[in-house]
Amino acid sequence: MVDPSSAWDTWLQVVWTFLRLSLFSLGGGNTLLAEYHHLSVERFGWITSSQFADIYALAEAAPGPSSMIVGLLGLGAGWDHGLGWGLLCGVSAEVAVLLPSTVVMVAAALSWNRLKDAPIRTAFERGLGPITLGILFHVGLTVLRTADHSVVAYLVSAVVCALMLFTRISPLYFMAVAGVLGAIGVIPS
Amino acid sequence: MAAQLDQEPLAAAPSRKGLFLGMLQVALSSFGGGMSAWSQRIVVEQRRWMSNESFITGLTVARLFPGPNQINMAVYIGAQFRAFAGAVAAVGGILLVPFSLLMLIGVVYFQFHAAPAVDRVLTGVVAAAAGMALSMGFKILHVYWRDPLALGLAALTFVVLEFKGIGLIPVVLVLGPIAMALYWPRQQRHG
Repeated sequence: MVDPSSAWDTWLQVVWTFLRLSLFSLGGGNTLLAEYHHLSVERFGWITSSQFADIYALAEAAPGPSSMIVGLLGLGAGWDHGLGWGLLCGVSAEVAVLLPSTVVMVAAALSWNRLKDAPIRTAFERGLGPITLGILFHVGLTVLRTADHSVVAYLVSAVVCALMLFTRISPLYFMAVAGVLGAIGVIPS
Repeated sequence: MAAQLDQEPLAAAPSRKGLFLGMLQVALSSFGGGMSAWSQRIVVEQRRWMSNESFITGLTVARLFPGPNQINMAVYIGAQFRAFAGAVAAVGGILLVPFSLLMLIGVVYFQFHAAPAVDRVLTGVVAAAAGMALSMGFKILHVYWRDPLALGLAALTFVVLEFKGIGLIPVVLVLGPIAMALYWPRQQRHG
């Protein structure tokens, strides 16, 4: 069943995809979510749209940086070729997405104090903020469309969004409550 | 109290192994959240690797540059002492346990997600997570509220991505430099 040549193709696809996106993860990495959805669901068909929504929720709920969703996308991409390929693609995806940004960040960490008064620093700080803002709204809507398929689901998302903005309650509680609502069948899937 | 801490001498520069273990401790301590508070406590107060001031600088740089904030912060800490090798050791330390755990969760998910009960629970969790995603933009909106140029750039970025179907990379490559040019500081004013 396992065709090694196509498994290698998938691996290369995974590594190249995340390598080239790495330096575009502005604003802490969440700006890439919509692009991840587009590539892994529509372009390469690694996973389905509903799997993407599930994976996103799992990465948010699990401890540690939520940007580790990349590892799950890689896992999903390699899964059809067997567990070993899944894990290899998962780890490779994470390394690929972190490598370029790490190299740039090392350079930044070592030279930052010298750049203190450089105009490019100000332009970079102030100019990329608004772009990030626009991307984040696009990401929010993309995840919303991917995740919700009923009025009740949209309502849950809207309430959670408001609670995120106006309270300091840990989002884990929102997920737990919504999970229970789902389990008892309040939210049609 | 912070000033007092700053006056205490810093510890010797950590080895790669030390960086790995220190960041591992940060990751394990912050399982319930609050990673940057924990790394401050461990890196600045307990291990005294760096002053509070250079830690805060690190947070700014980490937010500014591409890459996940928490990982970038580990890169910053590691790079201060052992350049690229230190950064890799620090990132390895911060990722090892949570990433292994997430992979395990992923394997369980791909094995069992077709089960109807799992699917129903996930429908709810996913709706909550989508609400979190939606809140990200609103969360930083107030920063730009009084800046029409920023709002215009944000709206343009949003519209191009949302309605024109153009990918993220070309949009950032074109609009990024334009935005930087528009926000280029005029030095003369401050002399």
